[in-house]
Amino acid sequence: MHQHQALIDRAVEEVGRVLLGKQTQVRLALCCLFSGGHLLIEDLPGMGKTTLSHALADVLGLSWKRVQFTSDLLPADILGVSVYDPKDASFSFHPGPVFTQLLLADEINRTTPRTQSALLEAMAENQVTVEGETRPLPQPFFVIATQNPLHQSGTYPLPESQLDRFMMRLQLGYPDPRAERQLFEQHRLQGNTQSRAPLRQCMDSAQLLAVREAIGGVHCADALLDYLQRLVARSRAGGEFAVGLSPRGALALLDAARTWAYLAGRQHVVPEDLQAVLPAVTGHRLVPGHEYAGDGDALAALLLQTVDPVRG
Amino acid sequence: MKARKRWFPPRASRTGQRPAGRAPGAAIPRNALVWILLSQFALLLPHLPQLPIWVVPVYLCTALWRGMVLRGQWSWPSRPLRLALILAGFAAVWFSFGSLLGLEPTVALLLTAFALKLLELQRRQDAYVLIFLGYFIAVTVFLFNQDLLLVLYMVGCLWLLTSALVALHRPGEDRFNWRSGRLPAIMLLQAVPVMLVLFFVFPRIGPLWSVPLKTQAATTGVSDHMKPGDVASLSQSDAVAFRVQFAGEIPPRGELYWRGLVFSVLEEGAWRSLRYQEIPPREWRLAQKNGAGSALDYQVLMEATQQHWLYALRYPQPLDPGVMAMGDYRLYSPVEVEERFRYRVRSWPELPLDPVLSDWRRETELRLPEQGNPRTRALARELRLGAESDGDFVQRVLDYYRNGPFVYTLQPGVLGDDPIDEFLFQRQRGFCEHYASAFVIMMRAAGVPARVVAGYQGGEINPVNRTVIVHQFDAHAWAEVWLAGQGWVRVDPTAVVSPERVTLGLEEALAEEGSFLAESPLSPLRYRGIDWINSLRLRYDALTYRWQSWVVGFDSEQQLNLLQRLFGEVRARDLALLLLGSAALVLAPAAWWLLRGGRPRRLPEERLYQRLCRRLARRGLERHPGEAPGHFAERVAAERPELAAAVRRATAIYSALVYAPQQPPGERGERLRELRRAIGQL
Repeated sequence: MHQHQALIDRAVEEVGRVLLGKQTQVRLALCCLFSGGHLLIEDLPGMGKTTLSHALADVLGLSWKRVQFTSDLLPADILGVSVYDPKDASFSFHPGPVFTQLLLADEINRTTPRTQSALLEAMAENQVTVEGETRPLPQPFFVIATQNPLHQSGTYPLPESQLDRFMMRLQLGYPDPRAERQLFEQHRLQGNTQSRAPLRQCMDSAQLLAVREAIGGVHCADALLDYLQRLVARSRAGGEFAVGLSPRGALALLDAARTWAYLAGRQHVVPEDLQAVLPAVTGHRLVPGHEYAGDGDALAALLLQTVDPVRG
Repeated sequence: MKARKRWFPPRASRTGQRPAGRAPGAAIPRNALVWILLSQFALLLPHLPQLPIWVVPVYLCTALWRGMVLRGQWSWPSRPLRLALILAGFAAVWFSFGSLLGLEPTVALLLTAFALKLLELQRRQDAYVLIFLGYFIAVTVFLFNQDLLLVLYMVGCLWLLTSALVALHRPGEDRFNWRSGRLPAIMLLQAVPVMLVLFFVFPRIGPLWSVPLKTQAATTGVSDHMKPGDVASLSQSDAVAFRVQFAGEIPPRGELYWRGLVFSVLEEGAWRSLRYQEIPPREWRLAQKNGAGSALDYQVLMEATQQHWLYALRYPQPLDPGVMAMGDYRLYSPVEVEERFRYRVRSWPELPLDPVLSDWRRETELRLPEQGNPRTRALARELRLGAESDGDFVQRVLDYYRNGPFVYTLQPGVLGDDPIDEFLFQRQRGFCEHYASAFVIMMRAAGVPARVVAGYQGGEINPVNRTVIVHQFDAHAWAEVWLAGQGWVRVDPTAVVSPERVTLGLEEALAEEGSFLAESPLSPLRYRGIDWINSLRLRYDALTYRWQSWVVGFDSEQQLNLLQRLFGEVRARDLALLLLGSAALVLAPAAWWLLRGGRPRRLPEERLYQRLCRRLARRGLERHPGEAPGHFAERVAAERPELAAAVRRATAIYSALVYAPQQPPGERGERLRELRRAIGQL
């Protein structure tokens, strides 16, 4: 137990109120944000992707902006543009929606690669360069992007380099029948008004940064690093993998596992933490070899099954 | 837009199926897998002659299965299925051989296991087991055959196996690559000097335990009894019976009568040798050589026969220990000839055998059954009456053969109740057994001591290395008659009927009938007429002879001779100690380094946790390879609620010890004790 436990539990519970029956995904999403990572939510339309991202922004008390990505969106629409002001005869910069703490990038794979890559620098370095001038972004800065499954028409798949910048990829999936029933009943009560029950803000930016700092103190034992190393080695050695885990992927795995341990109230990481976050962290990074029938998620499952956390 | 990739979470069945209870370890690179499959197939081939044919489809099926698993299309066989396959393997071997013991069934079992192991080939450890099994199987090939070409082939197998071993340690090679066989080839070449040194120096230690080497294959060649008339048609084999190297000139072909067995007893129409208990002890061993004459020295390299008798020319004296000369002038090995056997003999072909016949021997060699073959006996008595002496009588009987319409054939047909009467007076067709048997019966009926001798006659002279190659089809039977003043005299009635049989060989004797090796159309011996094939065959045989006597036959005695010639007096024990000592000096530190220094030392809590896992495994609760301790504990708790408390507790302590920040030594010791106690409760 630590001082932030109550805070975290309340946040999980609060987000869970709008996304029913998705405890694990909610925890993972929070884990991603507490780790300072960007989040990619991939699912069919109408599964609650946007709901989740709104809820996260509300609960964490972050300033947020939302960009609906379309095929004709241009980089300037996100980053901002300098406009000539005839009054004082000079150009003044009008910041784009990226200058916020939480950017909701809806349907990111509907836009062209050119616009997608405009986000790249922002996500990797927390700064944007427009017209030769580099401007820092507010702290903390998160991107929550949603994307449609790749087989839907009119999508531009994100390149691997960009996928790698997302710490986690979540899939929501259909709610289970009980949660769905509860959803229907809530809807019946509220009637068909578009307004949704506002969520309580559970923490502010300062608290969020404090939590992140506390997570930095979570202990990683040698044995855990050994396990991580075996996982990484396995992903690079097996014939099933065309692309193994990069060092950045491995570091993301470690960071996420630390946060997961902290969310569970522990001050040290155990293999179970690593295993809990591994599918979300590695599923979009692993590329199957051409003769392997499964996809990245299957490869993540394979890693979990074949690498023993206990040193033999 | 076409679906590029499946994005839904995969069904758990395909990739999610856990290989039950397998130890973790490094994966097997695809390249190594292909090498393993290749070497397995290569190892299977030389075993085919002694294996039931179903081993091949079994291997192909397991290889296919393994390939489909690699492609992710099929899953690993479940544990019950694997168990069923093992039992099926045992059953199949049992059905094929009628037994699980003996050389062939055990080798068949070994190879079946070798094929089935593919279905468990998941981790590097499995591949080690398979490859080292492969090395062992390569050795077992030589239990059946030590042919020179086979040895070359097995070197190839060795290369394949070593390539598999090397490829196993090159992770990430997911494509078959012939070039990865280069390093193993170099390694094998580098090993040649070591091999040579060990070959010459390593002590030839007798086996520590005896393996039943007797194969189930039917023995060919001369058998221990002879019943003319039983065989409608004699089958021939072109296998080599033995090879002989003479020290001096090779005697003429007509003199090459290789005596193997002496048939003195005629019982129920069949000839057999005297049994051990039928011989008075003083007649067992050969008496001291009497008289002098020119000696003939030669060395016989005999193929395995699973029998005791050996082959030699007239009046043999063994020059090697372990070969006995018997009272009837033949050589005998106290142990069955289970593998290729070499012995040196000195013969005195001019010396008389038994110039004085003992009463017992005379009585034995005259004995005939009371009844049977009346016309033959009558003819013998009639011919004897007209003869002046025993020698004259022999000539008259031979004349009878010579003048009658006798035909030499390998297809005489089956004879009836009085086979010799039928043969002599009606059919008048037969091969050596018929002529020799009828001749001896006539001799005995007329009161002349006589016996049948079985062995080989003639042989093929290999001009390349001046050896005589005696084939199985040279098997022959002839007679010996005791004449006063001359001792036992060899008489070959077949030679009278078919002189070509003795002077030229079986092929010419059967030229008209065309039945020579009729059953082996592919035998190279059939193509002796074609010059280059014949020359190639004889050259290879000469090479084989050299190979057999210098490499295969390099035994402890030869080794000692060689070493003494090189280094003076050497005792086998000193040699062994020296070798073992130097090997220990080199290998022990290497082994220590590999075993201790090479891998991280296990912490006490890790050992304790392994103990916990072993205890739970004994109760049927096995931890899966990827299963984290906490998850395992929860599964155990769900399956066996009575263990829940202890397992959860032990796991929590273990997890904290390994993964939490280090605690001060005292507290750590306390926690370890607690863990030990918690495990003790199970």
